Amino acid sequence: MDYRLHLAKRMLVNKRGSLIGAVLAVSIGILVINVNFVIFQGIYDAIVRDMSEYRFGDIYVYDEEKSTIEKSDIVLINWFERIPGVEAATPRLEASATAETRILGQQHEKFNVPVLGVDPISDIRTSTIHETVGDGQYVYARNSIVVGESVASDLGGCSRGCSFMSGGETDPTATADVDLGDCQPVRVGDSVKLTITDQWGIDQKKRFVVTGISGTAGGQGFDRSVIIHIDTLRDMLDRSGESRSIMVRLQESVSPHDAKQIKNQFLRAFPNDNLRAETIEESAESTLSGFKSGIAMINLIGYFGMGSSAFAILTIQMMLVNSKTREIGIMRAIGARRKDILIIFIMQGMIIGAMGAGAGTALGLGYTTYAKITNMEFQGSLALEVNYNWQKIGETAFLAFILAMIASIYPSYRATKKQPVEAMRSV
Amino acid sequence: MSKIYGEAETEVRALDNVSFSVKKGEFVLVIGSSGSGKSTLLNMIGLLDRPTEGRVLVDGFDTSDLTDNEISAFRNKKLGFVFQFANLLADLTVLENVLLPSQIQFDSTTNNRAKEILEKVGLKDQLFKRANKISGGQAQRAAIARGLVNNPTIVLADEPTGNLDSVTAKNVIEVMKKMAKDLGQTFIVVTHERAQFGDVDRIITIKDGRAFEGEHSPELEVVA
Repeated sequence: MDYRLHLAKRMLVNKRGSLIGAVLAVSIGILVINVNFVIFQGIYDAIVRDMSEYRFGDIYVYDEEKSTIEKSDIVLINWFERIPGVEAATPRLEASATAETRILGQQHEKFNVPVLGVDPISDIRTSTIHETVGDGQYVYARNSIVVGESVASDLGGCSRGCSFMSGGETDPTATADVDLGDCQPVRVGDSVKLTITDQWGIDQKKRFVVTGISGTAGGQGFDRSVIIHIDTLRDMLDRSGESRSIMVRLQESVSPHDAKQIKNQFLRAFPNDNLRAETIEESAESTLSGFKSGIAMINLIGYFGMGSSAFAILTIQMMLVNSKTREIGIMRAIGARRKDILIIFIMQGMIIGAMGAGAGTALGLGYTTYAKITNMEFQGSLALEVNYNWQKIGETAFLAFILAMIASIYPSYRATKKQPVEAMRSV
Repeated sequence: MSKIYGEAETEVRALDNVSFSVKKGEFVLVIGSSGSGKSTLLNMIGLLDRPTEGRVLVDGFDTSDLTDNEISAFRNKKLGFVFQFANLLADLTVLENVLLPSQIQFDSTTNNRAKEILEKVGLKDQLFKRANKISGGQAQRAAIARGLVNNPTIVLADEPTGNLDSVTAKNVIEVMKKMAKDLGQTFIVVTHERAQFGDVDRIITIKDGRAFEGEHSPELEVVA
């Protein structure tokens, strides 16, 4: 072993306090970045996961200009389902409705809700929204309705006095005779009346039977909407055969790159239909760009923390150099060149960097594994999507190592400037 | 050579036209009172400092124009040092300390020689002890071994017994003399404890920066 490395190691080992301090400084910097990554990237990935599962699929098709796709959904779905790698595809239609409930013949609640029309058969192959129905079952008949948890609560009058979140307005006069103590969320078997204005401006009313209540962790699903059969919604809107979007699910083995290729293939197949298609990455990019900037900002704070740890190393290395002044003088006297002294102290920085990067990465991986095993949740609801990003982990460790080495350059340079005679007089 | 510190009114001539030569294998004692310039002289010979005027020749080689790196290499190969405080590296073992000068020039063949010298100085059983775990006398003997390991032209010793009790000092001096005799090694030893050294080949007295041949002989100025 090179005597300089041996000496660097021994000097550090014999200054355990400084070594531990410096290693902790590096490892805490890495840990902060890893924890930030697990939490914030985990939230981002969880939101993207839920967006994909509930709303956009892996590829999302819609009309670029109009609110609905006029081309037959059967044609589009058949096209997709013939492509290798495509699991399933389903049409969806969206609208707004006024929902109302009655208790003992008296109007209880009335407000606007978003309505999602689904094809029950293809939807359960494409989306996992049906799995969010905790009570009852998913839409299965033309008159069945699945009510989001929040909507169920609001329709039962439980949100009075609170801010209403569905975007609708509560009619204050309509509820005047109902006692607040009557708050009872809508349940399976209750009936809900929807009023939807069709494309000609005529109100279409229909009564539905609640077959299920849908609730999702973190509210990323349709907690604030109602879900009905797509054909019923088409009839009420008088938009026969039209869809708002086509949601496409790919097989798990399909990579994002292949997803893009399928999307491009689709767009080439339907060049004159004004259709637009986005992969989930693209949908998330446009929907969550602000969130992503926030993650970048938080990561930046983490990297500033790592920069601070470099200053800590610089200070500790300066202390080490000062405490080894006599030894530097001795080595210079017996023939060590300035370069040798420089290398010894830079090697110390490298040892600190390597140990800190190792410890920090181990701690970070430990935390990540803990988050994954325990299905860590954000604010007790949204289950984080925890992934091992090996590239990020490697980059962070490497950066910490390089910073530790760079932080050692100045103290090492100072060490080379010591004259042997003066240095040896140091106690 | 001369060594002058400061300028004009504050000028101090630490060494004033000192000139002498030492034969190979000689054991030379440089004596003088505190502040007379003994250590300055040794620093000049050891290339740890540069003279203001004059030059140092080792084996006939003029060291005046050497660069910093060349001086380091020269010190490493041609000179051995023994200091007042043993100046071993506390982080290393006795053997590692002795091997350090040869490791600096990446010479890995001196392991046996280092062990032999350590045996000769009586530290055979202390090879793997940490340098800060041995006594002052043992440390000084290890320092002598370190000074000898590269087979230097000259070993320079600056007050090697200055920090030792009289019994230990006597032991260290015997070791140095034995090494000088056994290995034919040139020693230049600076001390103000003349009596401890007994018979030596030659004595140079430094007084007020000037060198005189012999003991207490200011009338005999040293000439090359």
